[in-house]
Parts: sequence; C-alpha cells; structure tokens
Amino acid sequence: MMNIHQPVYLEDKLEEVESSGKLAYRSQTLPTWCPGCGYFSIVEGVSKAMTDLGLNQKDTVCVSGIGCASRFPFFMNTFGFHSLHGRALPVATGIKVANDDLTVIVVGGDGDAFAIGGAHIPHAARRNIDITYILFDNGVYGLTKGQTSPTSIVGFKTTTTPYLNVDQPLNPLMMLLSYGASWVAQAYAGEPHHLTEMIEAAVAHRGFSYLHVLSPCVTFDKTSMTYKNLGMTVRPLPGDHDTSDFAAAMAAAQNTDLPQLGVYFAKERPTLADGLNEIAARAEATV
Amino acid sequence: MAKNAKQRTDIQIAICGSAGDGTIAAGDILKQAMAKAGYNVIAFDVYPPEIRGFGKCIARARITSEQVYSLKSESDCLVSLDDSHAIPHVPEVCKYGTVIYEDTPMSEMAEGTHISSHLASAQLPYGVAFREISERVTSSARSRNIVAVGYLAGLYDMPAEIFHQVIGRKFSGKPKELTDSVLSAFDAGFQTGAETFRLHFDRIGASRSKSKQSDLVMMSGNAATVRGCLDAGIDTFFGYPITPATTIMEMLAREMPKRGARLLQTEDEISAIAATLGAGYAGARAATATSGPGLALMSEMMGLGAMAELPAVAFVSQRGGPSTGMPTKTEQSDLNLAVFGVAGDGQRIILAPTNVEGCYKCAGKAFEMAEKYQTPVIVLLDLYLSNRYEAVELPVENPFSENCSKPVKKKPGKTKYSRFKLTSDGISPRAIPGDEDCMHTVTGLEHNEQGRPNDQPEIHQIMSAKRHEKLLTAVKHPGITISKRFGDKGKVDVGILGWGSTFGEILEAMIEARKEGIRCSAMKVVMLSPLPLGPIHAFMDDCGEVLVPELNYEAQFAALVTGATGRPVHRLNRVTGTPMRVREILAEIRRLAGQTEMIAAE
Repeated sequence: MMNIHQPVYLEDKLEEVESSGKLAYRSQTLPTWCPGCGYFSIVEGVSKAMTDLGLNQKDTVCVSGIGCASRFPFFMNTFGFHSLHGRALPVATGIKVANDDLTVIVVGGDGDAFAIGGAHIPHAARRNIDITYILFDNGVYGLTKGQTSPTSIVGFKTTTTPYLNVDQPLNPLMMLLSYGASWVAQAYAGEPHHLTEMIEAAVAHRGFSYLHVLSPCVTFDKTSMTYKNLGMTVRPLPGDHDTSDFAAAMAAAQNTDLPQLGVYFAKERPTLADGLNEIAARAEATV
Repeated sequence: MAKNAKQRTDIQIAICGSAGDGTIAAGDILKQAMAKAGYNVIAFDVYPPEIRGFGKCIARARITSEQVYSLKSESDCLVSLDDSHAIPHVPEVCKYGTVIYEDTPMSEMAEGTHISSHLASAQLPYGVAFREISERVTSSARSRNIVAVGYLAGLYDMPAEIFHQVIGRKFSGKPKELTDSVLSAFDAGFQTGAETFRLHFDRIGASRSKSKQSDLVMMSGNAATVRGCLDAGIDTFFGYPITPATTIMEMLAREMPKRGARLLQTEDEISAIAATLGAGYAGARAATATSGPGLALMSEMMGLGAMAELPAVAFVSQRGGPSTGMPTKTEQSDLNLAVFGVAGDGQRIILAPTNVEGCYKCAGKAFEMAEKYQTPVIVLLDLYLSNRYEAVELPVENPFSENCSKPVKKKPGKTKYSRFKLTSDGISPRAIPGDEDCMHTVTGLEHNEQGRPNDQPEIHQIMSAKRHEKLLTAVKHPGITISKRFGDKGKVDVGILGWGSTFGEILEAMIEARKEGIRCSAMKVVMLSPLPLGPIHAFMDDCGEVLVPELNYEAQFAALVTGATGRPVHRLNRVTGTPMRVREILAEIRRLAGQTEMIAAE
C-alpha cells in the first residue's frame, strides 16, 4: 500500500498480464460496469487469487445475487450462478453442501447483502460454511440508478431520499464479527494490490471469510464514498493489530470515519462440512 | 359369531380426548396393532395447533377386511377420554354403534355434562372405570388411555398379543418398569372388555385375505414420502419447520445421515429452496418440504428454477388458508399458488398423489422428473394425506432410476459447451460443476444458448418455447400413472374428476352410486401441471355431467380444468378443515344423475 508507483508502459503491462496466466480465468464477456467503477478490481483480484492458489476453473463456482457487483460471474471462466436479489448465500450454501470439493466465491453489493439478503448473513457466518464472501460496498443502489442503501450515510440525497436520508447506516464489519464469521477483513478498491492480497487470503481461509471492500460508485455518488473522500481517510490497521483478538477487532471496526484496511479477525474453527460429517458419523454408528 | 368365521370387517373407531390425554397415542397403538393383525387400516388424527391447552384431539381408524379408500362419515365406535370434547361427536356414531366412556367421574358433574345423557336410543353405552382401573394396576391415572385401548380390544375380541408387541415397540428404549406398567394397564382394560356382555356384531370380523398379508406396511403419507425420497437416492434436504410438513424433515433428519446424505435446517423457506436449487445445480438430488405459507415465500425461487433450468423437488403439504389460516386442519387451496405462483411464464411440474402409496411413487418420480426435465417439481400433499395412515404395499425392487440427467456428449476438438442448447425435445445436455471444459453461468436473466444475458425479442420467444415444450414430454414420463379412470367404462351419466386426498372419498361415493344403479365413473388426475389434456378430454367426452369435488372455496381445480378444456364442470366445494363427506359427494352425484335423466326424457 501507499508506495510510490513507478511509470507503467503498455507493452510491458500486456506482456505481464498475458504471461501471468490470469486471463485463463476470464470469460470472453467484457465487464459491464461504468468506467472508473471500483468493481473492475473484483475480476482482477479473483483471477489473480485463483492463479496464485492454483485453483482449477472447473472446480470453482462464483455465486452472486442481483446488483451491479452481482454481474461478476459472467466475466469469469468458471462455473457461475447469478441468482436472485439477496439470495447468493443460501444458493452458495446448497452448492457447498452438495459438493464440498468445490471452491465457492460469493460476490455481492451492500443492498443485496444487508437489505434484502440481511437474514442470511448471520446463518452463513455462524455455520462457518467454507465459502468466501466478497462484499463490494458503494453505499448506493447503482443498477436501479441511484437510491439509498443500508450503508448510505445520514444526509445522503438520492432519488428516493431527495431531501435527505435519515436512516443510520449499518456497520457491516461489527455485524459480521458478532455473527461469528471466522475471518473478517476490509479492503479498498482504490488500493487494488492490497485488495488482491486480501482476496487471496480470504479464499485461502478455511471457513466463512468475509471481505468488506469500500468501492466508490462514480456514477451515482458524487459526494459521499468518492475516491477523493475515501482516499483521504482510509489507512492500514495498526501493525500490531492482533487478528486473534476479538475485542480489538470490534474496537477497530467502530472507527467508520477513518476506515482501516487489513485483516480484523481470523480464527480457525470447525466448518459446516466438519459438522455434517460428524452428524453422519454418529448416525452411521446407530445403524 | 366367532372371529374366525368369514365375516367381512368394516368398523371405524374414533377416540376423542383433550390434548395431553394420550388420545393420539391410543389411536396409534390401535391402528398399528390392527395393521399388524392383517387388517386394512385407514387412520387420520385431528388435533389442535397447541401442544397442551385442552384442545380437542380425535384419532379415527377404519379397520376393514376389503380395500377401502377413505374414512366413513359415521363411526361404529366412539371412545371418550374427555366428555366435553366427545359429546359433539356422539351423532357421528351410527345406529347400534358403541359409545365407550368413563362412568366413574372424579367429582359430581352438572346435568348434561356427562356423555351418557347425550346418547341416542339406538346407540349402545359402555361405561368403564378407566381411571380406577389405571390407578389400581399402575398406581397412577395417567394410563387411562391405555386402559381404554385395552378395553376396546377386549370388547371387540382383538388379538391381545399383537397389541403387546406394538406397545413393547412403542416403549422400546424406555425403562422396563414403565413398559410393564403400560402392559398391565392394557391387560386390565382388555380383561374388563372381554368380560363385558355385548352384542355379537361388536366383535371384529375377518382380516384381509391371506395372500396379501405379508408385504403390507402401515405408514403415513409423510412417511411414504420420506421412503420415496430415500429410495430415489436423495442427496441433500434443506427445510424450515412448518405444519403439516415438519415430520418429513424430522424423519429425513434421522435417516439421511445414515446414508451419507446431508440435511440442513435453514433460516427460512427462501433459503431452503435457494439451497435446494444450489445443490441441484451442483448435481445433487435435492429437496425441501413446506406448506402453503412457505410455498408463497418460495415462489420467486421457483421462477429462478424454471428460468435457469435447475432441478429441485418441493413437497408442499397444504393446510387451511389463506395466511396462517388453520395450521392443523386440511384443505386443498394451494393449487393456484402451486400452478400459477410465479413471476412471468414459469411453468413447472406438479404432482398430487391421492393416497399414501401414491406419496411414495410421486416422491421418487419427482426426483427423476426434476433431473430429466431440469425444472422444479412440486409434490402437492395436504394435511389429510400427510397425516393419514394406510396399510400399503411397497415394491420389493427399488422402482426409481438412479440417473435421468441428459449427459453432455464430449466431442473431440474445441466445441464450446452450450448449457441451454436448443434441441428437438427442449432438453439440453446438462453439465455440473466439476465437469471438464463445461464452465458456464446460470442466471435468472433471459439468456442465449450459452447462458449469456440476452433480451433480444427472438431469443425470449425461442427460449420461452423451449422451457414450456420440454415439460410436455413429462406427461409421458415412464413408471408413473398421471391420470386414471375408475368405475363404469364408456358413456356415463356422471363423471367425477378429482385430485389429491379427496379422491378416496370420491371413489367411495362413486362405488355407492354405482350400487344404486347410476352409471358413473371417476378419474384421478395426478399430474396437475402440465395437465394430461388428452385423457381429460376423452373422459369428459364420455360424461353427461362432470363433477369436481375439492376442499377449497374457489373451486381451483375446476377452474383449472375449465380453463384448459373450455368445458363447464359442476363444482362441489367444502372448507370445513375436515375431509369431504362421502354422502355429500353421493348426494351431488344423485342430483346430477337425476338431471341427466330429465334431459334424456325431454
């Protein structure tokens, strides 16, 4: 993060991209996001993480709900399930329970996750189902052209809150921590290298991993979560942050004015598959 | 007359008490024992939504030597464990029928509160000191329900040793002292019953003919559904508790892990069906079970299943509606929701078994169909079918196919896999995650053959046709009867078109009508979507009048048939929360037959 970037030449970059192997994970469909959208980094980050982790396309399923971020599976050369608004997590649960050998990556936006899909997050987290949930938070409904979302700040003006938004925003990091997610981290779309690192760590974690990505909507938010505002406020978690310290993670998550990037909390515990295998072992013992 | 004389048996016993009296348990022992003794049994319990709270419980069992199709409107015997609940049911006891009751109440009763003062002159009263007997042999009044079962068995000359076996199995795992105490309560009741002076026709007659005795099992509709799931090789089940479907999940929760299959109780019905579709997408045989309110929550996902062409099986046991309605009362009013409850044109397959054996077949076949036609399949049950017990004969050989999926044929060279390839029958070869070179994304958006979002006019037209036409082949799916005609062949005065649990009452009414000389036949329709229009048209061609009896107010099936065939039908609708009465259907058949005669005379 925060390093001074060297000049980049197109030829070098092309060669680098082609030789990296990342393109094998990309489909031939071009992303449909607006120029400047933070979501482009999902495709880049997931492709790189899959390359580095040596994942096979045929054994990976990208699952999403509905929203701008949820178009993601179409841009990947993996198996994909573009489901219904808010329902990516239960669909992913079904896929993972049916075949535990698959790597399941769920991508969604803030409305998809915390408004219509809010009921599913606690249960995916507490069950510690071994999937990765990458949540792109831009604090606005983009696909329906600019309405308030559960993470919009108070005072935010949108087409459905033309005077002001009066609802207090949720704090997703604190929610996920309290739900029992076994891996919780935050990244920023304006820091793509760090974001990619975080995606890779999230996928590598055994259990339910939640990556919160602050990602500006360049089209429908000119005042709140902009690159300019976020760029001035985000900072890394302190170097001595202890990822096994739940109370420290909760304390860090409270600081929404100066969002901190990095792994808040990480703890291995039995996954849903471990639990179901235990049930099967006990049931078979009764036969 | 002795019991080994070849006298036909057809007695219906109703045990009525208050929640907590052990009414349902008493009924359970009775029906299990009589089925074990070789009789046909159809049984159905009515109970309140509350666990205690003094609600009314009635356990009814019809015990016969011949095959019958429903409970009778009248019972031959009523056992009262609670007079205040049982008194309104005295009129359901037939002429010369038996009423068994507690004759030594604990305290003085106000005039008119004891059941004995409500009996008709032709009903036979049998007063027994249930409580005293229970206290005498078990030093507790709690076994009075068992004493009552024992008395009933003794009075009707039923085989005591089989009751012993059933009680022993019911209490296996409990302390031996408890089992012994229950058995002694039964024996004391049995002895009292056996020593009672009674009229000969109170004794039970012959059991089933010997040839069919061996392979019959007593089970409920929900248990048969579970057996169907297991025999079809269910891999995953996701569900959320709701009456009357909960017992399906409870039974599967015990059985599936023994076979390495996986079951998860989800946070709501939406996640239950979402996970079921996810598992189906990943190649599993996946199912969920719910009731009407749950199906309402699932309808958006059902549309996704239709659009993304994913297999899923949903067992929907109907109850009284709308809304929370009557959770422990039966109704057939979720047909419209099952058939039409979806955004857009999202047709799916709907199967509605008419009896317990049908539950088994439809359950297993639903997995085959979901897999073959790549679509959600709803198996529509109702409380009367889910909780009804019948002695059924299950096939010795597993009748269900292990894999019905249309495989992807690997071609050498680089042919890009198209998940939604247009084919002559509308069914595309299906790949699942893990299959080499078959990566694709499924979506609820309209899409082209590759699965890419596409809303071009011709694409939506062609893909809509594909999704509907593939279902038409399901009407010819092998190994399942999707419609069947019973009764008189050829032209008839009255034809009865029925579906679901009510078809038992329809058959009984049709048999009675034919005895009266009315030319009459009945057709059951098991596949409600897509409708088997060929057989329905042929049947209606033969019928002077068509009657559609069903347990809903809006005549949902009648409207469905009329809409599909353009022909009018006569409707008979009841929403009493109880099964339809045979005599009500019979009265309507007589009325319609009379009409036909008048028209013929003109």
